Formats: sequence, structure tokens, C-alpha cells
Amino acid sequence: MKNIRSSVALVSVCSVLLVATAAGQDSGDTDNGKQLYFDHACYSCHGYGGIGRRNIANNASGILVSEEVFITYLRARADQNPQFPTQTMPNYAASSLSDDDARDIYAFIRTLKDDPPEVDDIPALKGILEDAETGL
Amino acid sequence: MTKKSDENKPRISRRAFLGTGAAAGAASMLPAGPGAQAAPQAAGEATNAKVSPPSPEQMAREVGSALPPSLVERAAQRPGSDLMVQVLRDLEIEYVVSNPGSSFEGLQESIINYGEIPNVMPEFITALHEESAVDMAHGYARSEGKPICALIQGTIGLQHASMAIYQAFLGQVPMIVLVGREDKHFLQQHTADDVAALVRPFTKWDTHPQNIEETLDALQEAYRQSITPPCAPVVVIMDGHIGKEEAGDLRVPAYYPPVIPTITERQADKIAAGLASASNPRISVGRFRTPAGIDSAVELAELVGASTDSRSTSGPMSFPQTHPLTGPGVSTEYDFELGLEVPGAQASVTGPHLRTLDDRDLVGINFGNIRPPVRPTPDTSGDFDLTADAEASLPLIIEATKKRLNGQAKNAIAARTVSHTKANRDNRIAGLREAVESKRPGWNGSPVSLARIYAELWPLIKDLDWCLASPSIFSGRHHVDLWDHDRPYSYLGVYPAAALGYALGASTGAALAAKGRDRIVINIQGDGDFNYSPGSVWTAAHHNLPILTIMHNNRAYHMELMYLQFMAGVRGRGTDRAEIGTTFRDPYINYAKLAEGYGVKSEGPISDPNELSAALARGVESVSNGEPYLIDVLTQPR
Ligand code: HEC
Ligand SMILES: Cc1ncc(C[n+]2csc(CCOP(=O)(O)OP(=O)(O)O)c2C)c(N)n1
Ligand SMILES: [Mg+2]
Repeated sequence: MKNIRSSVALVSVCSVLLVATAAGQDSGDTDNGKQLYFDHACYSCHGYGGIGRRNIANNASGILVSEEVFITYLRARADQNPQFPTQTMPNYAASSLSDDDARDIYAFIRTLKDDPPEVDDIPALKGILEDAETGL
Repeated sequence: MTKKSDENKPRISRRAFLGTGAAAGAASMLPAGPGAQAAPQAAGEATNAKVSPPSPEQMAREVGSALPPSLVERAAQRPGSDLMVQVLRDLEIEYVVSNPGSSFEGLQESIINYGEIPNVMPEFITALHEESAVDMAHGYARSEGKPICALIQGTIGLQHASMAIYQAFLGQVPMIVLVGREDKHFLQQHTADDVAALVRPFTKWDTHPQNIEETLDALQEAYRQSITPPCAPVVVIMDGHIGKEEAGDLRVPAYYPPVIPTITERQADKIAAGLASASNPRISVGRFRTPAGIDSAVELAELVGASTDSRSTSGPMSFPQTHPLTGPGVSTEYDFELGLEVPGAQASVTGPHLRTLDDRDLVGINFGNIRPPVRPTPDTSGDFDLTADAEASLPLIIEATKKRLNGQAKNAIAARTVSHTKANRDNRIAGLREAVESKRPGWNGSPVSLARIYAELWPLIKDLDWCLASPSIFSGRHHVDLWDHDRPYSYLGVYPAAALGYALGASTGAALAAKGRDRIVINIQGDGDFNYSPGSVWTAAHHNLPILTIMHNNRAYHMELMYLQFMAGVRGRGTDRAEIGTTFRDPYINYAKLAEGYGVKSEGPISDPNELSAALARGVESVSNGEPYLIDVLTQPR
């Protein structure tokens, strides 16, 4: 049992390293990326810390697998205003946001971490659940 | 017959007034004598003259030293306006919300000085903008299901008020808009022959009474019209001189209530048959006119053990959210569905909607018709769609159903009530588990997460009687799955015309309703929405209204920022300038100081989420003691 577990752990460490190497393309400047994330209003829908109507913190998105995928995604957005803008993402053409700038944003987004407390450690949320469970 | 007032009395026209010059003008101020006679006679024609520049006297009256209109009028022992106040009082209209104007000085004097002084039934509430006055009447009507009055100065005040009236019209709320009008001593720019034309396309009814007696009738009829479905704002044009006339022994007419359209007894029986014979009946409840509708709906649902769908998280006057029968029930295979103010069920009773008012005279206001309110086309697939007021029809349905329930049916009902109760409770707890989990992300983020505001406010208010008066669509609607909406006014819903500038006024009106009822009002307030007419903050301070305003301060017209970002993205000409015209930067607005300036206790801006909960507690404490409070919170954009 113990062995299996440690080999699983080893595999995950390897895959983290692999991703990190692939993202050796993480060539951007995170400070500039932070400024651009603000200037190009990415925070609008993704929050100042990557948590918003659509969460992009914690590197959970497949789009963040590489700079190329990310840049392709930025350039291929729909050409239409939605009824509620938070529901879909605007286009970022190369004429508006250069590849270099996009790489900086990419590097910045990948630093965004969100590690909220568990419900049990948030009295307000825990209380809401408990009240319902105890029939209050 | 009671006596008619002097409706044919000649009025002084502006043209004549100007023509005779300053001397005649001055002479007409005398209580009696040739001057006083001459001017009206010379004026016999033309009250409808083209706009002329105001005379020095008119100007002085409007903006400078106010001269008395005439000694005779002021000397009335029993002024007509006292009777008008008596009518409002008899109708239990609690407030007249107004921005003052000399066109209704007689009525205003009666409101403050009639009966026991200062009179507070109705109480004169000072609004700092006519739009605020109407929004207050709107918020009040949404929480109480009945109207109060907005009292408005002539053509100018009515134009300030008009967008808010439009919004109230689309919201189908009852409200009486009293508009002061004055031909004699008034700037011509403030008056018009047909003042109500300004808002006729989006009011249900208007009238322009010509004497005291007609005015008293008009006020009662206005009340009836506004509370008869479809409920809507109505307008009474009040000529200032009428209120100043001597009423003599004129008596207030007896009030009779309106006839609210109900379904017939046969139709009620058909519905009763459906409910009584079903093994899993379902009731869907939309928005009733008044809290009485909710009581009847609860009675009916319990009578037949029907699982019930509530709209109480999206607006007022619906079924209590945590009633044991609220929820999908033990099975969603319903064999009979009744819609109460909800179309498309097997049997649906829905009140008449406002149409385009085609039959109203829209000529001559240079506005044209407005597009009819866009509403989802009622689904007429149900076999049995009835246009009638559900609230008024419910007693008929209940009676008919009672007659059809035998002992066996009652046993089945008791049994399924038990299973629904358990199923709905399980369903609710499962929903809450997901909900609380979904509120965690960004919990410790700065600026503050909107979910955290709603979550941390709840434990502080859950044991109080509260009303969430602000639309929550821009602040994440987190109350929907975290709070219990069990009262008629738990949540007052969104802006019916998506027209901003509403939340603060509407919350202030809800707080007028809350005051004296041991209730507090929560206003989670967008910064853009706030800045249209922030003066209501002072109204809350002045009248000690229990309103807790929590700024959703994202320092932007954020919705518009996102649209502009989209447009810039589509055109590819630069996506880094969308903040122009859409944000409140350089300088930032300090809402805590602004509130302080208006006399409301406040704190902030708060950007550290760990400071939030204590601030909210201070706010709730303050409003529980009847003092408004404002907390400026720097928030995530959405
Ligand atoms: C107007 C709102 C809006 C703005 C502004 C916006 N996004 Fe998005 N974004 C979305 C939405 C909605 C989605 C998910 C749906 C979609 O793809 O349209 C998304 C998806 C993403 C994803 C993929 C997330 C996933 O779930 O896999 C990334 C990465 C991303 N956005 C980055 C950015 C960056 C970087 C910017 C600024 C340059 C930006 N977004 C600006 C709304 C927005
Ligand atoms: C009277 C009026 N004017 C303009 C608009 C256009 N509009 C829609 S949303 C919005 C921004 C609202 O700002 P705020 O209340 O701060 O909400 P946010 O989007 O920032 O959350 C504006 C100006 C409107 N709906 N109503
Ligand atoms: Mg805003």
C-alpha cells in the first residue's frame, strides 16, 4: 500500500516538473503582466485575484497549459456583444494586445493563487448550513 | 347636491397680466377694490397663451420674495386642502413624499398643520429630487402592496419624476402622483393646460379636477384605479387655487372599494376538482398584489398538500421560501398544476397586464407611443387560462376545494404533506451544501468578495425582520441561495425598466414602510446607481429611517466597462482604454464622507475582508435603533 502511494506521489511530482518544463515558455514578466491584466480589464470578469464570474486562479484552466494555447484563445473570441458580458469573453486581437504583452499576462495569471478556508472554518457559511440541518 | 366651487371664475391670464403692466399687477394684490376686479375681467380669454417671459412679479415669486397670492384665499376657515388631507388619511395613505413647490403650498400647509400638529397622517416626507420621491413611493408599494403619494411641482417636477414613473409603471406598482398646477401666480414655464400629458403613455389613469368636490372624488378614484389590477401609477393634477378655497360645509364623500376581477364560482369549482382529485397537485406562485394573497395561497397549499413553487427570491409578495411545502416535493410527476399569477400551468389565474394604453389620447405631447412593455408571451398551452386577480380569486377556490375533500382525500393529503416536507427539506439542505461551497472562492480576496458580504450579513439579520430592497443582479444575487425569503417584502426584486438611480430611493421608500413596523432595510448599493440622486441619504437621516446601505463600490459603471471592452475587442483598436467614461477614478468617490456630510453615520472604505463583519454588525445595530448607516466597501467588480 505504502509503495503504491509513494509511486503515485512520484508520478505527480514528475508531471508537475514536466508541466513546469513545458512552461519553460513562461517567458513573461509578471509585474508587467499584472499591470496589463488591469489595463486590459481582465479583472472585469476574472476578479482582481483570478476569482470572478469565471475563475482562472490556481492554474486550473486547460487554456493555461502553454503560452501558445493561451494566445490562440485570446485571439479567437466571438465577434459579438453578448447580452450579459460576463457570460463570454471579449476578443484580444494582436493589434490590441501584442504576443509579448500576452506572454506577460500569461505569466502573471499563472501566479494567481486562491486558497480559501474550508466551509467549516467560515462561521457565516457553516452557520447557514447548520441552521438548515437543525431545522432552524 | 353639494355646492360647486367657482370653476368658472375667470383666471388672470399671463398676457393680460403683462399687458396691464406693473401697476395693475400690484393692484391685483389688494384684497378688494377696482384693481382686484379689473384684472380678472380683463383676463377673461386666453389661459392658454404662448409662453411669454415671466414678469418681474412672477419671477420674484418663484425665485425671490414670495408675496401672498391673495388675502382672500388665505383667509379660508376650512380650506379645501384640509379635506384633501382627510381623504388621504381615510385611505390610510401614510406618506406624501415631496420636493416642495408653491403650486401646492395650500396642500402642503394642510399636510403639516391639519388636525393634531404636526400632522403625521399622512406625513410629509422631504425628497431632494422628484425621481427620488417616486422611487420612494415605488419601494414602499413593493413592500406593502399599497400606495402612498408623491407630490410634484408642475411641469418641471414631473419631468424630473418621469423616468421613475415609467419604471413604476413597468413594475406594476400602485402609486398616486399628485402634480401641483397653478395658472394664476405661476411661471408659465411651470404650467401647461395638460400637464399629465408628459407622463400619460406610462401612467394608467389621470384626471384634472376643477373644484374641491371633484378633487376629493378624484383622490378616491385615483386610489381605486391604482390598486385595481393591473396596478400602476395614476396622476391627479391639482390646481393650487382649489386647495385654498373655502370648503364651507362640504363633506368628504364616502369611500367605496374597487371591484377586483375574480374568476367565477364555476371556474373556481373546476380548479377545485383538479386539485382535489390529483394525487400530486402542484401550485406555482408568482407575485400577488398584497400580503393577503400569500396567506390565502398558504392556506390552499396546506389544504390540498400541494408542493409549491415560490418566486420569493426574485421579488416580493410570493410564497414563503422555507415553508415545508415549498420545493419540488417528493415527486415532480405532478398530475394537476395551478398557476397563481404564473402563466402556463394546467390552470392559470393571472391578473390583467397593462397594455399599450391605446385608448388614451397621446396626441400633442410630441413623444409618440411607447413600445408596449416587453413581457414573455403568456403560455396559453394550459387548458385553462383565466385572466383575473389570483389573490381575489383564492377565497373562491379555497371554499370550492373544501367542499370537495372527503375523509379519504384528507388522509392522503396528510400523508403526502409529510413526504413533501421531508423531500423539500432534503432538497434544500443539498442545495445549501452546494451553495456554501460555491461562495468560498476568493473569500479572503481584497477588494472584498460580494458573496462574503451577503454571507456575513446573514447571521446578523436572520433573527430580525428585514427587507432587502436593492436589486441584486449586479452584486451576484448571493442572497438567493443563502438567505431565507419568508416575508412578503423579503426581496423587492430588480429594476423593472433596468433604469438606474433606483436602489437608494426604493430602499428609502421601503424604509418608510419599515419604520414603525420594527423592520430594517438592507440596501446593497451599486456606486453608479447611487450617484444619480444621492440626496435620499439625507432623507433617511432626516426622517430616521432604518436603512443599512452597503456600497458595492467597484468604482465603476462596471456593466458598461465590460460592454465597452467587448466593443474595443471586436474592433481590435486597443483594449486598454475601456475605463474612459466607465469608471470612477481620479478622483475616487468617498461614500463614507458623502454620507457623513448628509448626516448619516458611516464608515469605510473597507478593502480588508477581515474588517467587514464587525462593520456590518455596527451597521445592523445602528439601523435596529432606527438610525441609518452606510458602509463603503471596495468590492470585486462582480
Ligand atoms: C467581459 C468578460 C471577460 C473579460 C473582460 C475577460 N474574460 Fe476571460 N473569460 C470570460 C469568460 C466568460 C470565460 C469563459 C467562457 C468563454 O470562453 O467565453 C473566460 C475564459 C477565460 C480563460 C479560460 C478559463 C477556463 O475556464 O478555462 C482564460 C485563461 C481567460 N479568460 C483569460 C482572460 C484574460 C487574460 C483576459 C484579459 C486580457 C480576459 N480573460 C478578459 C470573460 C472575460
Ligand atoms: C438611467 C440609466 N442610465 C444609464 C443606464 C446604462 N447602464 C446600465 S448598467 C450601468 C452601470 C451601473 O453602474 P453600477 O450601479 O455601479 O453597477 P455595476 O455595473 O458597476 O455593478 C449603466 C450606466 C441605465 N441602465 N439606466
Ligand atoms: Mg459600480
